Amino acid sequence: MASIDISRYLTLYVSEAQEHLESLSDNLVKLEQAGSTGEVIDEAFRHAHSVKGMAASMGFELTAKLAHRMEDLLDAYRALKEKVDRASVDLLLSTTDALLGHVRASAEGKDVGDVSALMGALERKLYLLKPDTSPRPSAPPPASVAAPSAARGLGLPPRYQIKLKVAAGSATPGVRAFLAHKRLSGLGNVFDLRPPLDDLKAGRLADGNFSLELESTFHETEVRAALKTIADVELVSLKVIEPDAPPAPKTVEPEGPRVVGQEPARTVRVRTELLDQLLDGAGELLLATARVREVGKSVPEGARGVLDSEVDRLNALVKDLHAKVMKARMTPISVMTDRLPRAARDIARRRERDVELTITGAEVELDRAIVDELNDPLLHLLRNAIDHGIEPPVEREKQGKPPRGRVQVNVRREKDRVLLEVEDDGRGMDGDKLRAAAVARGLLTPEAAQGLSAREALMLACMPGVSTATDVTDISGRGVGMDAVKRAIESVGGTLEIESQKGKGTRFRLQLPLTVAVVQLLLVAVGDETFGLPVAKVSGVVEFPEAQLAHSQNASLLPFGNALLPVYSLAALLTVPGDDGVEQTRPYVVVEAESGKVALGVDRLQGQEEVVLKALSRPLDLVPGLAGVTILGNGRPIFILDVPRLLV
Amino acid sequence: MPNNVALCAEREYSPHAMAKRVLVVDDAIFMRDIIKDIFASGGFEVVGEASNGVEAVERYKELKPDLTTMDLVMPFKNGIEATREILRVDSKAVVVMCSALGQEALVMEAIEAGAMDFIVKPPRAEDVLAVVKKVLGEA
Repeated sequence: MASIDISRYLTLYVSEAQEHLESLSDNLVKLEQAGSTGEVIDEAFRHAHSVKGMAASMGFELTAKLAHRMEDLLDAYRALKEKVDRASVDLLLSTTDALLGHVRASAEGKDVGDVSALMGALERKLYLLKPDTSPRPSAPPPASVAAPSAARGLGLPPRYQIKLKVAAGSATPGVRAFLAHKRLSGLGNVFDLRPPLDDLKAGRLADGNFSLELESTFHETEVRAALKTIADVELVSLKVIEPDAPPAPKTVEPEGPRVVGQEPARTVRVRTELLDQLLDGAGELLLATARVREVGKSVPEGARGVLDSEVDRLNALVKDLHAKVMKARMTPISVMTDRLPRAARDIARRRERDVELTITGAEVELDRAIVDELNDPLLHLLRNAIDHGIEPPVEREKQGKPPRGRVQVNVRREKDRVLLEVEDDGRGMDGDKLRAAAVARGLLTPEAAQGLSAREALMLACMPGVSTATDVTDISGRGVGMDAVKRAIESVGGTLEIESQKGKGTRFRLQLPLTVAVVQLLLVAVGDETFGLPVAKVSGVVEFPEAQLAHSQNASLLPFGNALLPVYSLAALLTVPGDDGVEQTRPYVVVEAESGKVALGVDRLQGQEEVVLKALSRPLDLVPGLAGVTILGNGRPIFILDVPRLLV
Repeated sequence: MPNNVALCAEREYSPHAMAKRVLVVDDAIFMRDIIKDIFASGGFEVVGEASNGVEAVERYKELKPDLTTMDLVMPFKNGIEATREILRVDSKAVVVMCSALGQEALVMEAIEAGAMDFIVKPPRAEDVLAVVKKVLGEA
């Protein structure tokens, strides 16, 4: 018998259990708001249940036990149809967090912490809800399906006396016995069941023994065959007895209303890296097609017709493929927004605010690269809104506002952009304070600060070190602030605007592109400047002593493979100061230009980075040799060079 | 139910039968993978999977497997409802429930609904194969 190596499933366990727990925590927040609505609590129960099952299968006993207790409590609430009070939601959320901690610990092969306190709390809560620990209501009595009445035409059918025994090792003797009872009652009518059905179902069997009489038109061999199909139930004896009772009346179980489930989408799970690789591949195909087209131009005019049309066809196919891959990468914004209600609740509770969060348009889709990038910024904006925006309830009432603050996250699609707004009805931002802070930090002169428009002044909040938070809390206002938010938004090609009215509230408007153009860059330095060269255009890199370059007339030549390539100094081409130094060995980047390969002399290589390409706007787009701009992971903006145009 | 018995008998007499075809229904990929591996190790052919009750019924109609393992608690439509529906489509369907300990009442409900047997999660290969071989009349 094959034994299964459980560790192979660890990755899957970790990712799936985490998803369940995150959804569970969403459900709990909803429960607190809406009370014990059947659907939400059912869903919460299912998530807890799934986690329990997975953990048990992986052999993580403590995790399974904790999830089981949680499931019990949820089940109790479900059965009692009672509103889940705030304290219970707290307890359930803590349990969810603890379980998440377990899952992460398991991922790292660590032991999970002590769960006894939480277990105890859950058990106490459960006891308060169900002091009698009454068992679940048992299933309705079996509906006996009688044998075909036509077979009874010739008097009463034979009656069998059957003795059975559930195997000693069975974990669920009651269900095993019930299964046998059910199987037999499918063959005819069951009488004289010992012990009675309720005891049988509860597993109250003397040494696993039970017996019954079956009146059935089936032959003895068929009855024996039916019993043979049940694992862990052994036939002790079977004998035919004389019929002495009329058959029981036939009962038919009424059919309840059918629940028509909504049609779920068929989906498969793929690793996100695979999506990235697919996009890379599709991008490469586009480039390769363009190259084939170029090569085709060298074919004599007369022979080109078929080639051209085939290249066109190929191009269309590849473009279509590219578009489909882009589509596959589209991810609903709910992936980011689903965790906001929980976060909002936690922040509000810690800061003693009363906040209602509404989210609209979470179904709008964006490229997953953008969604990934915006996760933290969005959370930060939410924190800001609650922490700095929404006033404490007392203060709000003094100002004639409802005590409960409102934060709205609204998403909608506008043509080829997605608009995401985070809006609060709190105290608003103070442009003058921001101006003063920027001046105090030496970021602006007082004149420059006064010269800013109201809107520009608000954007000062996104400069590093400028913050009007009078208190530094553990929730927001510490270091990583709005500057990081703005940078993240811009790194995916989006823009951030702030609108605010003192006393009325603040609105952060994010305009985001639907998709991103991702390119691999080789980063090179010339003097103090860094530039990006698209890796797709780079044929190679060599280090070579400048003094050993070959020369012809007024050009230097670099030996590369079997050829001598013309050498250009990137510093000279860009007219930026390079590092001084004669006789030095420097890196040369070999790139494709119009006239063939050329070598670009640079000062240093700074590695590769995958970046999102942003187009240049006027007037920068008129500068020859610049393909675009991007913001590196470290926040530094750099130009991406268009080498062929640079050499013209 | 009588039909099942007849069917099992038939199967017993065909020693060179092809690998039995199995449909695995569970909302956790994780659990499906475990169960699939168990079946593979026992010489069964897993021909399909479903992650909820609605899908289970659809896949059943499409695949007509020899055996279906059915999780109890799933979104959209639970395992009991799905079992009922499958049996309505095909009264000979062999459905085996997958349950956790502590779900006895639900399992009995499923048996009421026509499930042929049940296996307990976490599934152990020996137990699972013993149960399904019995149910299919192979042991």
